[in-house]
Amino acid sequence: MQAKPTSLRALDLVAIAVLIVAAYLALVYAPEEAVMGQVQRVFYFHVATAWTALLGFIAAGVAGVAYLATKDEKWDIVEIAAIEISLVFFLITIVLGSIWARPIWNTWWTWDPRLTTAAVTELIYIAYFMLRQGIEDPGRRARFGAVYTIIGAVSAPITFFAIRLFRTIHPVVIGSGDPSAQGTFAMAPGMKLAFFFALFAFTIIFVDLFWNRILMGRLAARVEQLKLNLMR
Amino acid sequence: MARRPSVHSDREKPAASFARAVVAITWKDLAAEFRSRELFSAMLVFSLLVILIFNFALELDIRTRQSVTAGVLWVTFAFAGTLGLNRSMSIEKDQGSLDGLLLAPVDRSAIYFGKVFSNLTFMLIVEAIVLPVYSFLYNVNLLRPGLLLILLLGSVGYIVVGTLLATMAVQSRSREVLLPILLFPVVIPVLIAAVKASGGFLTGDEAINIRPWINLLLVYDLIFTAIAFMVFDYVVEE
Amino acid sequence: MNYAVLPQDTTPDTSGYMVAGYVIFAVIMAIYIVSFLARGRNLERDLSTLETMKAESKAMTPHPPRKRAVRKAKPERTRAGTRGQTRRRGAGRR
Repeated sequence: MQAKPTSLRALDLVAIAVLIVAAYLALVYAPEEAVMGQVQRVFYFHVATAWTALLGFIAAGVAGVAYLATKDEKWDIVEIAAIEISLVFFLITIVLGSIWARPIWNTWWTWDPRLTTAAVTELIYIAYFMLRQGIEDPGRRARFGAVYTIIGAVSAPITFFAIRLFRTIHPVVIGSGDPSAQGTFAMAPGMKLAFFFALFAFTIIFVDLFWNRILMGRLAARVEQLKLNLMR
Repeated sequence: MARRPSVHSDREKPAASFARAVVAITWKDLAAEFRSRELFSAMLVFSLLVILIFNFALELDIRTRQSVTAGVLWVTFAFAGTLGLNRSMSIEKDQGSLDGLLLAPVDRSAIYFGKVFSNLTFMLIVEAIVLPVYSFLYNVNLLRPGLLLILLLGSVGYIVVGTLLATMAVQSRSREVLLPILLFPVVIPVLIAAVKASGGFLTGDEAINIRPWINLLLVYDLIFTAIAFMVFDYVVEE
Repeated sequence: MNYAVLPQDTTPDTSGYMVAGYVIFAVIMAIYIVSFLARGRNLERDLSTLETMKAESKAMTPHPPRKRAVRKAKPERTRAGTRGQTRRRGAGRR
Protein backbone atom coordinates (compact mmCIF):
# COMPACT_ATOMS: atom_id res chain seq x y z
CA MET A 1 0.00 0.00 0.00
CA GLN A 2 1.21 3.43 -0.86
CA ALA A 3 2.03 5.85 1.90
CA LYS A 4 1.44 9.47 1.18
CA PRO A 5 4.68 11.27 0.39
CA THR A 6 5.66 13.82 3.02
CA SER A 7 5.75 16.60 0.45
CA LEU A 8 2.10 15.93 -0.28
CA ARG A 9 1.24 15.98 3.40
CA ALA A 10 3.00 19.30 3.61
CA LEU A 11 1.09 20.55 0.60
CA ASP A 12 -2.18 19.55 2.26
CA LEU A 13 -1.35 21.80 5.17
CA VAL A 14 -0.22 24.63 2.91
CA ALA A 15 -3.46 24.35 0.95
CA ILE A 16 -5.55 24.63 4.09
CA ALA A 17 -3.49 27.56 5.25
CA VAL A 18 -3.78 29.54 2.03
CA LEU A 19 -7.49 28.84 1.90
CA ILE A 20 -7.92 30.39 5.34
CA VAL A 21 -5.82 33.39 4.40
CA ALA A 22 -7.71 33.83 1.13
CA ALA A 23 -11.01 33.68 2.97
CA TYR A 24 -9.81 36.27 5.45
CA LEU A 25 -8.66 38.60 2.71
CA ALA A 26 -11.90 38.19 0.81
CA LEU A 27 -14.26 38.46 3.77
CA VAL A 28 -12.54 40.88 6.09
CA TYR A 29 -9.58 42.64 4.57
CA ALA A 30 -10.97 43.70 1.20
CA PRO A 31 -13.08 46.84 1.34
CA GLU A 32 -16.78 46.67 0.70
CA GLU A 33 -17.82 47.46 -2.83
CA ALA A 34 -20.09 50.46 -2.83
CA VAL A 35 -22.62 49.57 -5.47
CA MET A 36 -23.08 45.88 -4.86
CA GLY A 37 -22.46 45.53 -1.17
CA GLN A 38 -21.11 42.50 0.59
CA VAL A 39 -22.17 39.99 -2.02
CA GLN A 40 -19.36 41.21 -4.22
CA ARG A 41 -16.97 39.33 -1.91
CA VAL A 42 -17.99 36.05 -3.52
CA PHE A 43 -16.36 37.35 -6.67
CA TYR A 44 -12.85 36.54 -5.39
CA PHE A 45 -13.58 32.84 -5.03
CA HIS A 46 -15.80 32.85 -8.10
CA VAL A 47 -13.05 34.00 -10.43
CA ALA A 48 -10.32 32.01 -8.70
CA THR A 49 -12.19 28.74 -9.05
CA ALA A 50 -13.08 29.59 -12.64
CA TRP A 51 -9.48 30.15 -13.57
CA THR A 52 -8.18 27.02 -11.92
CA ALA A 53 -11.01 24.92 -13.32
CA LEU A 54 -9.99 26.19 -16.72
CA LEU A 55 -6.43 25.03 -16.06
CA GLY A 56 -7.83 21.62 -15.21
CA PHE A 57 -9.82 21.65 -18.40
CA ILE A 58 -6.70 22.28 -20.45
CA ALA A 59 -4.71 19.70 -18.50
CA ALA A 60 -7.39 17.13 -19.24
CA GLY A 61 -7.25 17.86 -22.95
CA VAL A 62 -3.50 17.49 -22.99
CA ALA A 63 -3.72 14.26 -21.00
CA GLY A 64 -6.29 12.90 -23.44
CA VAL A 65 -4.05 13.49 -26.42
CA ALA A 66 -1.09 12.10 -24.50
CA TYR A 67 -2.98 8.95 -23.64
CA LEU A 68 -3.98 8.25 -27.21
CA ALA A 69 -0.42 8.88 -28.33
CA THR A 70 1.33 6.75 -25.71
CA LYS A 71 -1.37 4.38 -24.36
CA ASP A 72 0.32 4.85 -21.03
CA GLU A 73 -2.23 4.48 -18.25
CA LYS A 74 -0.71 7.29 -16.21
CA TRP A 75 -2.16 9.82 -18.65
CA ASP A 76 -5.59 8.33 -18.15
CA ILE A 77 -5.21 8.75 -14.40
CA VAL A 78 -4.11 12.36 -14.86
CA GLU A 79 -7.07 12.97 -17.16
CA ILE A 80 -9.65 11.70 -14.68
CA ALA A 81 -8.08 13.66 -11.86
CA ALA A 82 -8.06 16.88 -13.87
CA ILE A 83 -11.66 16.49 -14.97
CA GLU A 84 -12.98 15.54 -11.56
CA ILE A 85 -11.43 18.51 -9.79
CA SER A 86 -12.26 20.88 -12.61
CA LEU A 87 -15.85 19.68 -12.31
CA VAL A 88 -15.98 20.54 -8.60
CA PHE A 89 -14.36 23.93 -9.18
CA PHE A 90 -16.61 24.87 -12.07
CA LEU A 91 -19.58 23.91 -9.93
CA ILE A 92 -18.41 26.38 -7.30
CA THR A 93 -17.86 28.99 -10.02
CA ILE A 94 -21.36 28.56 -11.37
CA VAL A 95 -23.04 28.61 -7.98
CA LEU A 96 -21.13 31.66 -6.77
CA GLY A 97 -21.76 33.40 -10.08
CA SER A 98 -25.45 32.74 -9.68
CA ILE A 99 -25.49 34.00 -6.09
CA TRP A 100 -23.65 37.11 -7.17
CA ALA A 101 -26.07 37.76 -10.00
CA ARG A 102 -29.25 37.42 -7.98
CA PRO A 103 -29.20 40.55 -5.81
CA ILE A 104 -27.43 42.67 -8.40
CA TRP A 105 -29.40 41.97 -11.56
CA ASN A 106 -32.45 40.33 -10.04
CA THR A 107 -31.89 37.13 -11.96
CA TRP A 108 -30.39 33.79 -11.03
CA TRP A 109 -28.81 33.33 -14.41
CA THR A 110 -27.37 35.78 -16.90
CA TRP A 111 -26.59 33.61 -19.92
CA ASP A 112 -23.31 35.41 -20.22
CA PRO A 113 -20.73 33.56 -22.34
CA ARG A 114 -18.35 32.62 -19.55
CA LEU A 115 -20.92 31.35 -17.12
CA THR A 116 -22.87 29.51 -19.79
CA THR A 117 -19.75 27.90 -21.21
CA ALA A 118 -18.83 26.81 -17.69
CA ALA A 119 -22.24 25.17 -17.40
CA VAL A 120 -21.89 23.44 -20.76
CA THR A 121 -18.42 22.24 -19.78
CA GLU A 122 -19.90 20.91 -16.57
CA LEU A 123 -22.38 18.90 -18.62
CA ILE A 124 -19.55 17.58 -20.77
CA TYR A 125 -17.74 16.44 -17.63
CA ILE A 126 -20.81 14.68 -16.32
CA ALA A 127 -21.30 12.99 -19.68
CA TYR A 128 -17.64 11.97 -19.52
CA PHE A 129 -18.13 10.14 -16.24
CA MET A 130 -21.31 8.52 -17.47
CA LEU A 131 -19.49 7.27 -20.53
CA ARG A 132 -16.67 5.79 -18.48
CA GLN A 133 -19.05 4.23 -16.05
CA GLY A 134 -20.70 2.19 -18.77
CA ILE A 135 -17.55 0.53 -20.05
CA GLU A 136 -15.93 -2.41 -18.35
CA ASP A 137 -12.77 -2.98 -20.28
CA PRO A 138 -10.14 -0.64 -18.80
CA GLY A 139 -8.30 -0.09 -22.05
CA ARG A 140 -11.45 0.82 -23.93
CA ARG A 141 -12.62 2.99 -21.08
CA ALA A 142 -9.41 4.97 -21.17
CA ARG A 143 -9.48 5.32 -24.95
CA PHE A 144 -13.09 6.45 -25.05
CA GLY A 145 -12.46 8.83 -22.19
CA ALA A 146 -9.55 10.35 -24.04
CA VAL A 147 -11.55 10.71 -27.27
CA TYR A 148 -14.46 12.36 -25.51
CA THR A 149 -12.13 14.66 -23.59
CA ILE A 150 -10.61 15.83 -26.84
CA ILE A 151 -13.99 16.42 -28.43
CA GLY A 152 -15.20 18.26 -25.35
CA ALA A 153 -12.02 20.29 -25.07
CA VAL A 154 -12.32 21.50 -28.65
CA SER A 155 -16.03 22.18 -28.60
CA ALA A 156 -16.14 24.20 -25.36
CA PRO A 157 -14.13 27.17 -26.68
CA ILE A 158 -16.22 27.12 -29.86
CA THR A 159 -19.33 27.24 -27.66
CA PHE A 160 -17.86 30.21 -25.84
CA PHE A 161 -17.31 32.11 -29.08
CA ALA A 162 -20.72 31.16 -30.38
CA ILE A 163 -22.42 32.55 -27.29
CA ARG A 164 -20.29 35.65 -27.36
CA LEU A 165 -21.21 36.19 -30.98
CA PHE A 166 -24.83 35.65 -30.01
CA ARG A 167 -24.46 38.34 -27.40
CA THR A 168 -22.70 40.88 -29.58
CA ILE A 169 -25.60 40.73 -31.95
CA HIS A 170 -28.11 40.56 -29.12
CA PRO A 171 -26.47 42.29 -26.18
CA VAL A 172 -29.37 42.09 -23.77
CA VAL A 173 -29.00 39.92 -20.73
CA ILE A 174 -31.88 37.54 -21.01
CA GLY A 175 -33.67 37.34 -17.70
CA SER A 176 -32.89 40.80 -16.50
CA GLY A 177 -33.78 44.11 -17.95
CA ASP A 178 -30.33 45.52 -17.40
CA PRO A 179 -28.34 45.66 -20.66
CA SER A 180 -25.09 46.39 -18.88
CA ALA A 181 -25.10 43.26 -16.75
CA GLN A 182 -21.47 42.35 -17.04
CA GLY A 183 -20.24 42.69 -13.51
CA THR A 184 -17.36 45.06 -13.97
CA PHE A 185 -16.34 47.36 -11.19
CA ALA A 186 -13.23 49.24 -10.27
CA MET A 187 -10.96 47.35 -7.88
CA ALA A 188 -9.47 49.11 -4.90
CA PRO A 189 -5.94 48.01 -3.87
CA GLY A 190 -7.31 45.91 -1.00
CA MET A 191 -9.54 44.17 -3.48
CA LYS A 192 -6.65 43.52 -5.83
CA LEU A 193 -4.72 41.79 -3.08
CA ALA A 194 -7.67 39.61 -2.17
CA PHE A 195 -8.24 38.84 -5.83
CA PHE A 196 -4.72 37.80 -6.70
CA PHE A 197 -4.18 35.94 -3.49
CA ALA A 198 -7.37 33.97 -4.11
CA LEU A 199 -6.05 33.02 -7.55
CA PHE A 200 -2.80 31.89 -5.96
CA ALA A 201 -4.55 30.02 -3.16
CA PHE A 202 -6.90 28.12 -5.42
CA THR A 203 -4.07 27.13 -7.70
CA ILE A 204 -2.34 25.58 -4.71
CA ILE A 205 -5.56 23.91 -3.60
CA PHE A 206 -6.09 22.59 -7.10
CA VAL A 207 -2.61 21.12 -7.30
CA ASP A 208 -3.03 19.57 -3.86
CA LEU A 209 -6.36 17.95 -4.73
CA PHE A 210 -4.99 16.97 -8.13
CA TRP A 211 -1.98 15.19 -6.72
CA ASN A 212 -4.10 13.42 -4.12
CA ARG A 213 -6.53 12.37 -6.80
CA ILE A 214 -3.76 10.96 -8.94
CA LEU A 215 -2.56 8.82 -6.04
CA MET A 216 -6.07 7.58 -5.58
CA GLY A 217 -6.32 6.88 -9.29
CA ARG A 218 -3.22 4.73 -9.15
CA LEU A 219 -4.68 2.83 -6.24
CA ALA A 220 -7.91 2.31 -8.14
CA ALA A 221 -6.00 1.04 -11.14
CA ARG A 222 -4.18 -1.50 -9.01
CA VAL A 223 -7.37 -2.66 -7.38
CA GLU A 224 -9.02 -3.13 -10.73
CA GLN A 225 -6.04 -4.97 -12.10
CA LEU A 226 -6.09 -7.35 -9.15
CA LYS A 227 -9.81 -7.92 -9.59
CA LEU A 228 -9.36 -8.74 -13.25
CA ASN A 229 -6.48 -11.08 -12.49
CA LEU A 230 -8.34 -12.95 -9.82
CA MET A 231 -11.32 -13.44 -12.06
CA ARG A 232 -9.31 -15.21 -14.74
CA MET B 1 -24.67 -7.17 -48.27
CA ALA B 2 -22.43 -5.24 -50.61
CA ARG B 3 -19.31 -6.75 -52.07
CA ARG B 4 -16.34 -6.37 -49.81
CA PRO B 5 -14.12 -3.69 -51.21
CA SER B 6 -11.15 -5.40 -52.80
CA VAL B 7 -7.79 -3.75 -52.50
CA HIS B 8 -5.21 -4.26 -55.16
CA SER B 9 -2.59 -2.04 -53.72
CA ASP B 10 -0.16 -2.42 -56.56
CA ARG B 11 -2.66 -1.62 -59.23
CA GLU B 12 -5.03 0.80 -57.54
CA LYS B 13 -4.17 4.07 -55.84
CA PRO B 14 -4.91 4.02 -52.10
CA ALA B 15 -7.18 7.03 -52.42
CA ALA B 16 -9.28 5.24 -54.99
CA SER B 17 -9.64 2.13 -52.83
CA PHE B 18 -10.46 4.31 -49.84
CA ALA B 19 -13.16 6.05 -51.81
CA ARG B 20 -14.54 2.74 -53.00
CA ALA B 21 -14.67 1.47 -49.43
CA VAL B 22 -16.54 4.56 -48.31
CA VAL B 23 -19.02 4.24 -51.16
CA ALA B 24 -19.49 0.54 -50.47
CA ILE B 25 -20.30 1.13 -46.83
CA THR B 26 -22.62 4.02 -47.56
CA TRP B 27 -24.35 1.99 -50.22
CA LYS B 28 -24.75 -1.00 -47.90
CA ASP B 29 -26.60 1.15 -45.39
CA LEU B 30 -28.72 2.93 -47.95
CA ALA B 31 -29.68 -0.30 -49.66
CA ALA B 32 -30.56 -1.98 -46.38
CA GLU B 33 -32.61 0.98 -45.34
CA PHE B 34 -34.35 1.15 -48.67
CA ARG B 35 -35.56 -2.38 -48.12
CA SER B 36 -36.67 -2.08 -44.54
CA ARG B 37 -37.25 1.66 -44.11
CA GLU B 38 -37.38 1.16 -40.35
CA LEU B 39 -34.91 3.85 -39.40
CA PHE B 40 -36.26 6.33 -41.81
CA SER B 41 -39.90 5.91 -40.92
CA ALA B 42 -39.09 6.12 -37.23
CA MET B 43 -37.21 9.37 -37.71
CA LEU B 44 -39.88 10.83 -39.93
CA VAL B 45 -42.86 9.98 -37.77
CA PHE B 46 -41.00 11.15 -34.72
CA SER B 47 -40.21 14.50 -36.33
CA LEU B 48 -43.80 15.06 -37.34
CA LEU B 49 -44.98 14.22 -33.85
CA VAL B 50 -42.50 16.63 -32.33
CA ILE B 51 -43.68 19.40 -34.63
CA LEU B 52 -47.22 18.61 -33.57
CA ILE B 53 -46.32 18.74 -29.92
CA PHE B 54 -44.59 22.06 -30.40
CA ASN B 55 -47.81 23.42 -31.78
CA PHE B 56 -49.41 22.88 -28.42
CA ALA B 57 -46.39 23.47 -26.25
CA LEU B 58 -45.55 26.84 -27.76
CA GLU B 59 -48.19 29.19 -28.98
CA LEU B 60 -47.16 29.09 -32.63
CA ASP B 61 -49.47 31.88 -33.58
CA ILE B 62 -48.66 33.90 -36.62
CA ARG B 63 -46.45 36.40 -34.86
CA THR B 64 -44.39 34.09 -32.65
CA ARG B 65 -43.97 31.69 -35.52
CA GLN B 66 -41.50 34.00 -37.19
CA SER B 67 -39.11 33.98 -34.29
CA VAL B 68 -39.40 30.40 -33.14
CA THR B 69 -39.62 28.45 -36.38
CA ALA B 70 -35.87 28.05 -36.67
CA GLY B 71 -35.63 26.85 -33.09
CA VAL B 72 -38.52 24.41 -33.41
CA LEU B 73 -37.05 22.92 -36.57
CA TRP B 74 -33.60 22.43 -35.12
CA VAL B 75 -34.80 20.94 -31.86
CA THR B 76 -36.86 18.50 -33.92
CA PHE B 77 -33.92 17.56 -36.10
CA ALA B 78 -31.59 17.22 -33.15
CA PHE B 79 -33.86 14.71 -31.45
CA ALA B 80 -34.74 12.82 -34.61
CA GLY B 81 -31.06 12.74 -35.48
CA THR B 82 -30.32 11.03 -32.19
CA LEU B 83 -32.87 8.33 -33.02
CA GLY B 84 -31.31 7.75 -36.41
CA LEU B 85 -27.76 7.65 -35.11
CA ASN B 86 -28.58 5.27 -32.33
CA ARG B 87 -30.41 2.92 -34.61
CA SER B 88 -27.78 3.07 -37.30
CA MET B 89 -24.93 2.14 -35.00
CA SER B 90 -26.95 -0.38 -33.01
CA ILE B 91 -27.70 -2.27 -36.16
CA GLU B 92 -24.01 -2.54 -36.89
CA LYS B 93 -23.27 -3.80 -33.45
CA ASP B 94 -26.16 -6.22 -33.18
CA GLN B 95 -25.55 -7.83 -36.52
CA GLY B 96 -21.88 -8.05 -35.84
CA SER B 97 -21.27 -6.33 -39.13
CA LEU B 98 -19.03 -3.83 -37.40
CA ASP B 99 -16.63 -6.62 -36.62
CA GLY B 100 -16.87 -7.79 -40.18
CA LEU B 101 -16.06 -4.36 -41.47
CA LEU B 102 -13.13 -4.12 -39.12
CA LEU B 103 -11.66 -7.27 -40.60
CA ALA B 104 -11.77 -5.80 -44.06
CA PRO B 105 -8.39 -4.64 -45.39
CA VAL B 106 -9.54 -1.07 -45.46
CA ASP B 107 -8.61 2.02 -43.53
CA ARG B 108 -10.78 2.32 -40.42
CA SER B 109 -11.71 5.84 -41.25
CA ALA B 110 -13.36 4.63 -44.45
CA ILE B 111 -15.87 2.95 -42.19
CA TYR B 112 -16.35 6.21 -40.39
CA PHE B 113 -16.94 8.23 -43.53
CA GLY B 114 -19.22 5.58 -44.94
CA LYS B 115 -21.37 5.74 -41.83
CA VAL B 116 -21.30 9.53 -41.84
CA PHE B 117 -22.56 9.68 -45.40
CA SER B 118 -25.36 7.21 -44.81
CA ASN B 119 -26.42 8.84 -41.54
CA LEU B 120 -26.27 12.23 -43.18
CA THR B 121 -28.39 11.03 -46.06
CA PHE B 122 -31.08 9.76 -43.73
CA MET B 123 -31.10 13.00 -41.80
CA LEU B 124 -31.27 15.14 -44.93
CA ILE B 125 -34.11 13.09 -46.36
CA VAL B 126 -36.09 13.48 -43.17
CA GLU B 127 -35.44 17.21 -43.21
CA ALA B 128 -36.46 17.37 -46.84
CA ILE B 129 -39.83 15.93 -45.93
CA VAL B 130 -40.37 17.85 -42.73
CA LEU B 131 -39.76 21.22 -44.36
CA PRO B 132 -42.66 21.15 -46.78
CA VAL B 133 -44.92 19.65 -44.13
CA TYR B 134 -44.07 22.44 -41.71
CA SER B 135 -44.52 25.00 -44.47
CA PHE B 136 -47.91 23.52 -45.19
CA LEU B 137 -49.07 23.34 -41.58
CA TYR B 138 -47.93 26.81 -40.61
CA ASN B 139 -48.15 28.66 -43.88
CA VAL B 140 -44.50 29.66 -43.89
CA ASN B 141 -42.27 29.32 -46.87
CA LEU B 142 -39.33 27.23 -45.74
CA LEU B 143 -38.00 26.24 -49.11
CA ARG B 144 -35.39 28.93 -49.44
CA PRO B 145 -31.84 28.27 -50.67
CA GLY B 146 -30.22 30.00 -47.69
CA LEU B 147 -32.14 27.85 -45.27
CA LEU B 148 -31.30 24.73 -47.22
CA LEU B 149 -27.62 25.60 -47.04
CA ILE B 150 -27.83 25.96 -43.27
CA LEU B 151 -29.66 22.67 -43.00
CA LEU B 152 -26.85 21.02 -44.86
CA LEU B 153 -24.01 22.62 -42.90
CA GLY B 154 -25.71 22.08 -39.57
CA SER B 155 -26.58 18.47 -40.32
CA VAL B 156 -23.03 17.76 -41.38
CA GLY B 157 -21.63 19.08 -38.10
CA TYR B 158 -24.22 17.19 -36.11
CA ILE B 159 -23.71 13.89 -37.91
CA VAL B 160 -19.92 14.10 -38.01
CA VAL B 161 -19.71 14.31 -34.23
CA GLY B 162 -22.80 12.19 -33.69
CA THR B 163 -21.49 9.21 -35.65
CA LEU B 164 -18.27 9.19 -33.67
CA LEU B 165 -20.03 9.46 -30.33
CA ALA B 166 -22.69 6.93 -31.31
CA THR B 167 -19.95 4.44 -32.07
CA MET B 168 -18.76 4.85 -28.50
CA ALA B 169 -22.20 4.95 -26.91
CA VAL B 170 -23.26 1.73 -28.55
CA GLN B 171 -20.29 -0.06 -27.00
CA SER B 172 -21.20 0.98 -23.49
CA ARG B 173 -23.69 -0.58 -21.11
CA SER B 174 -26.18 2.25 -21.29
CA ARG B 175 -26.22 2.35 -25.12
CA GLU B 176 -29.00 4.51 -26.55
CA VAL B 177 -29.53 6.60 -23.48
CA LEU B 178 -25.97 7.77 -23.50
CA LEU B 179 -25.82 9.29 -26.97
CA PRO B 180 -27.86 12.46 -26.38
CA ILE B 181 -26.02 13.03 -23.11
CA LEU B 182 -22.68 12.83 -24.89
CA LEU B 183 -23.74 14.62 -28.03
CA PHE B 184 -25.81 17.62 -27.04
CA PRO B 185 -23.26 19.51 -24.94
CA VAL B 186 -20.62 19.32 -27.64
CA VAL B 187 -22.95 20.08 -30.53
CA ILE B 188 -24.29 23.29 -28.99
CA PRO B 189 -22.25 25.57 -31.29
CA VAL B 190 -23.92 23.90 -34.28
CA LEU B 191 -27.35 24.41 -32.80
CA ILE B 192 -26.71 28.03 -31.90
CA ALA B 193 -25.26 28.87 -35.30
CA ALA B 194 -27.87 26.88 -37.24
CA VAL B 195 -30.79 28.43 -35.39
CA LYS B 196 -29.44 31.95 -35.70
CA ALA B 197 -28.58 31.58 -39.36
CA SER B 198 -31.85 29.83 -40.23
CA GLY B 199 -33.76 32.49 -38.38
CA GLY B 200 -31.82 35.13 -40.24
CA PHE B 201 -32.74 33.66 -43.60
CA LEU B 202 -36.36 33.28 -42.63
CA THR B 203 -36.77 36.83 -41.45
CA GLY B 204 -34.79 38.20 -44.38
CA ASP B 205 -31.98 39.49 -42.23
CA GLU B 206 -28.97 41.19 -43.79
CA ALA B 207 -26.15 38.98 -44.99
CA ILE B 208 -23.70 40.67 -42.67
CA ASN B 209 -25.56 39.28 -39.67
CA ILE B 210 -25.82 35.78 -41.07
CA ARG B 211 -22.32 35.42 -42.41
CA PRO B 212 -20.58 34.93 -39.04
CA TRP B 213 -22.89 32.04 -38.24
CA ILE B 214 -22.17 30.36 -41.54
CA ASN B 215 -18.48 30.78 -40.87
CA LEU B 216 -18.89 29.23 -37.45
CA LEU B 217 -20.66 26.23 -38.96
CA LEU B 218 -17.95 25.80 -41.57
CA VAL B 219 -15.20 26.02 -38.97
CA TYR B 220 -16.95 23.54 -36.71
CA ASP B 221 -17.57 21.10 -39.55
CA LEU B 222 -13.97 21.22 -40.72
CA ILE B 223 -12.41 20.94 -37.28
CA PHE B 224 -14.54 18.05 -36.17
CA THR B 225 -14.29 16.13 -39.41
CA ALA B 226 -10.53 16.32 -39.00
CA ILE B 227 -10.65 15.26 -35.37
CA ALA B 228 -13.06 12.41 -36.02
CA PHE B 229 -10.88 11.19 -38.86
CA MET B 230 -7.89 11.12 -36.52
CA VAL B 231 -9.50 9.46 -33.53
CA PHE B 232 -11.95 7.01 -35.07
CA ASP B 233 -9.37 4.23 -35.01
CA TYR B 234 -9.22 4.42 -31.24
CA VAL B 235 -12.94 4.06 -30.98
CA VAL B 236 -13.19 0.78 -32.85
CA GLU B 237 -10.03 -0.87 -31.62
CA GLU B 238 -10.51 -4.22 -30.03
CA MET C 1 -9.52 54.54 -3.01
CA ASN C 2 -11.92 54.86 -5.85
CA TYR C 3 -15.36 54.33 -4.47
CA ALA C 4 -18.23 55.77 -6.40
CA VAL C 5 -20.66 56.47 -3.61
CA LEU C 6 -23.43 58.73 -4.70
CA PRO C 7 -24.90 60.79 -1.88
CA GLN C 8 -28.44 59.65 -2.51
CA ASP C 9 -27.55 55.91 -2.72
CA THR C 10 -26.76 53.71 0.19
CA THR C 11 -24.97 50.48 -0.36
CA PRO C 12 -27.54 47.71 -0.39
CA ASP C 13 -27.24 45.07 2.28
CA THR C 14 -26.41 41.97 0.35
CA SER C 15 -24.51 40.25 3.13
CA GLY C 16 -27.09 37.48 3.28
CA TYR C 17 -26.10 36.44 -0.21
CA MET C 18 -22.45 36.64 0.66
CA VAL C 19 -22.92 34.31 3.58
CA ALA C 20 -24.95 31.94 1.43
CA GLY C 21 -22.18 31.95 -1.14
CA TYR C 22 -19.41 31.11 1.27
CA VAL C 23 -21.50 28.53 3.08
CA ILE C 24 -22.33 26.78 -0.18
CA PHE C 25 -18.68 26.89 -1.12
CA ALA C 26 -17.75 25.24 2.15
CA VAL C 27 -20.48 22.64 1.76
CA ILE C 28 -19.42 21.69 -1.75
CA MET C 29 -15.79 21.38 -0.72
CA ALA C 30 -16.73 19.39 2.36
CA ILE C 31 -18.89 16.98 0.40
CA TYR C 32 -16.15 16.49 -2.15
CA ILE C 33 -13.44 15.88 0.42
CA VAL C 34 -15.59 13.50 2.42
CA SER C 35 -16.48 11.51 -0.68
CA PHE C 36 -12.83 11.56 -1.66
CA LEU C 37 -11.70 10.16 1.65
CA ALA C 38 -14.49 7.58 1.67
CA ARG C 39 -13.55 6.39 -1.81
CA GLY C 40 -9.93 6.16 -0.76
CA ARG C 41 -10.81 4.12 2.26
CA ASN C 42 -12.95 1.75 0.21
CA LEU C 43 -10.15 1.27 -2.26
CA GLU C 44 -7.65 0.52 0.49
CA ARG C 45 -10.04 -2.01 1.92
CA ASP C 46 -10.62 -3.59 -1.48
CA LEU C 47 -6.90 -3.74 -2.03
CA SER C 48 -6.19 -5.61 1.20
CA THR C 49 -9.10 -7.99 0.57
CA LEU C 50 -7.91 -8.70 -2.93
CA GLU C 51 -4.35 -9.19 -1.82
CA THR C 52 -5.50 -11.66 0.81
CA MET C 53 -7.56 -13.50 -1.77
CA LYS C 54 -4.64 -13.58 -4.13
CA ALA C 55 -2.33 -14.97 -1.45
CA GLU C 56 -4.90 -17.62 -0.59
CA SER C 57 -5.41 -18.68 -4.17
CA LYS C 58 -1.69 -18.92 -4.66
CA ALA C 59 -1.37 -21.03 -1.53
CA MET C 60 -4.02 -23.43 -2.77
CA THR C 61 -2.62 -23.85 -6.27
CA PRO C 62 1.13 -23.61 -5.99
CA HIS C 63 1.81 -23.37 -9.72
CA PRO C 64 -1.18 -21.76 -11.34
CA PRO C 65 -1.17 -21.95 -15.13
CA ARG C 66 -0.29 -18.60 -16.47
CA LYS C 67 -2.32 -17.79 -19.52
CA ARG C 68 -1.47 -14.19 -19.99
CA ALA C 69 -1.56 -11.88 -22.91
CA VAL C 70 1.76 -10.38 -23.90
CA ARG C 71 2.70 -7.67 -21.47
CA LYS C 72 4.34 -4.48 -22.59
CA ALA C 73 6.99 -3.14 -20.23
CA LYS C 74 5.46 -0.62 -17.91
CA PRO C 75 7.19 2.63 -17.08
CA GLU C 76 8.80 2.33 -13.72
CA ARG C 77 6.71 3.45 -10.81
CA THR C 78 8.27 4.01 -7.45
CA ARG C 79 5.92 3.15 -4.69
CA ALA C 80 6.84 4.59 -1.37
CA GLY C 81 6.48 2.06 1.40
CA THR C 82 6.00 -1.17 -0.57
CA ARG C 83 4.98 -4.01 1.64
CA GLY C 84 7.75 -6.50 2.07
CA GLN C 85 9.38 -8.14 -0.84
CA THR C 86 6.34 -9.43 -2.68
CA ARG C 87 6.49 -8.20 -6.22
CA ARG C 88 3.17 -7.47 -7.87
CA ARG C 89 3.17 -9.59 -10.93
CA GLY C 90 -0.36 -8.69 -11.73
CA ALA C 91 0.27 -5.00 -11.68
CA GLY C 92 1.49 -4.80 -15.25
CA ARG C 93 -1.07 -3.32 -17.53
CA ARG C 94 -0.93 -2.76 -21.18
